[in-house]
Amino acid sequence: MNFLRQAWAVAAKDLRSEVRSKETVNASLSFALVILLLFSFAFDPDAEQVRQISGGLLWLVFAFAGTLILNRSFARELVNDCLDALIASPATGAQIFFGKCVANYTLLVAVECVCLPIFAVFYNVKLPQRIALLFLVMLLGTWGITVIGTLFSAMTVNLRLRELMLPTLIYPMLIPALIGAIQLSTVLLGNDPLGTENQIWFRLLVVFDLIFTALALTLVEIVLVG
Amino acid sequence: MRLKIIVALSVLSGLILAWNLHTIFLKIPDELNQGAIFRIIYFHVPAAITSFTGFFVAMFCGVGYLVKGDLKLDAAAAGITEVSLAFATITLITGSIWGRIIWGLWWTWDPRLTSYFVCWLMYVGYLMLRNAIDEPNTRARMSAVLSIFACIDIVIVWKSIEWWRTQHPGPVLSIRSGGGMAPGMEAPLWYNLIALLMLSAVLILIRMRQQSMQREIDSLRRYAHAF
Amino acid sequence: MSPENATFMFYGFTVAWLVILIYVVSIALREKKLRQELDRVKRMVGEHEGEVKK
Repeated sequence: MNFLRQAWAVAAKDLRSEVRSKETVNASLSFALVILLLFSFAFDPDAEQVRQISGGLLWLVFAFAGTLILNRSFARELVNDCLDALIASPATGAQIFFGKCVANYTLLVAVECVCLPIFAVFYNVKLPQRIALLFLVMLLGTWGITVIGTLFSAMTVNLRLRELMLPTLIYPMLIPALIGAIQLSTVLLGNDPLGTENQIWFRLLVVFDLIFTALALTLVEIVLVG
Repeated sequence: MRLKIIVALSVLSGLILAWNLHTIFLKIPDELNQGAIFRIIYFHVPAAITSFTGFFVAMFCGVGYLVKGDLKLDAAAAGITEVSLAFATITLITGSIWGRIIWGLWWTWDPRLTSYFVCWLMYVGYLMLRNAIDEPNTRARMSAVLSIFACIDIVIVWKSIEWWRTQHPGPVLSIRSGGGMAPGMEAPLWYNLIALLMLSAVLILIRMRQQSMQREIDSLRRYAHAF
Repeated sequence: MSPENATFMFYGFTVAWLVILIYVVSIALREKKLRQELDRVKRMVGEHEGEVKK
């Protein structure tokens, strides 16, 4: 119980700070819109092409916009030595990490929820019948991005080239989760039947999330404290 | 003692490689379907195996550092990863050249090539991270954690890309090389592997020695500036 | 088999050896630089110790 309480304290702090300033969410949302615009020039897809690339397009937008949120996650603590204060507090590294994960996750899911209808409007995609399943895919995939992104944000927080290093490090690692999420999203957005061969992607997402959450919780103490 | 090991291993690996080149070019006939280009496999596969072995050994060295705190283990991990990355580059380029002849394409998003490229990218990131951190203990910690993540991810990436490509087959099917090779033709592959492993051991030992020199320089510099 | 086949085989082997060679040369250059730096720093420490003794 104490674990969750401490983690929630950290999460609430981050969320409260973000709600007051709205800087990260605004930046992330604007970036997402810009990417959607750029893709329309890059591909100029017709209806059939949109059907094929919809999942990929959506998740690229989520991944790129998510990096902004994840980068700020630990970077915001650098001012006034807040990070040192956090680490010195009674909360363990894992509690701090989990709290930040929850906060980042909430923000990223919020951004995604705004992006999805905008994407549907821009690319003339009818919102799918199985929207609950699509939402589930979004939740699973976003957790994978959040867990790895938050850990690497902690790792790169003190580096000069933080904004460059974070995407370089996390995107190759996220490929399995992105593949699974993209496959499922494309099928669901196209209103195609979700056959048995696609269940493997659900399993992949769940396994990915479980393995990397466990790994991150175990190793974050080493990254934050030493 | 170490110098003797380094020299002995280099000479031995050089001899094996030279002898193998002789076998590969003069004794082994052209493969029926692939022709001369097939001989590239004698470098491509050993380099791939060497690099994978290196990445996993480096992860264990990283874990060893986390457990024991000995910077020499971190130096080993870094050296091994660097050398493995060089061999990974060789694997990618020789594979691409082979593909140009066999498939007519310089590159294709075939499962193994894609996964291997992802692996390569992760370890380039590892070296970039090491370059970006100056403090030795922080650098060792972060590198160790990164290599643990990367190694576990290699397995997941491999399987997931394979599943993805089975659902959407690429323009060409990847030819499972090495299956059903005549016994006489297979031997040079394993000898080359041993030679490359020895060569990488040599390079790793040299790199480790360079890293301990760097540590000595840093500590002497601190000592000099303490006056 | 087309002559292109054999040519590319040589390219392949050349590339493999070239990468190893470039890597070995870069290691050798790093070694030289490290030795120079080590000598320089040892001299610097020697000078400082000489001054302290005076």
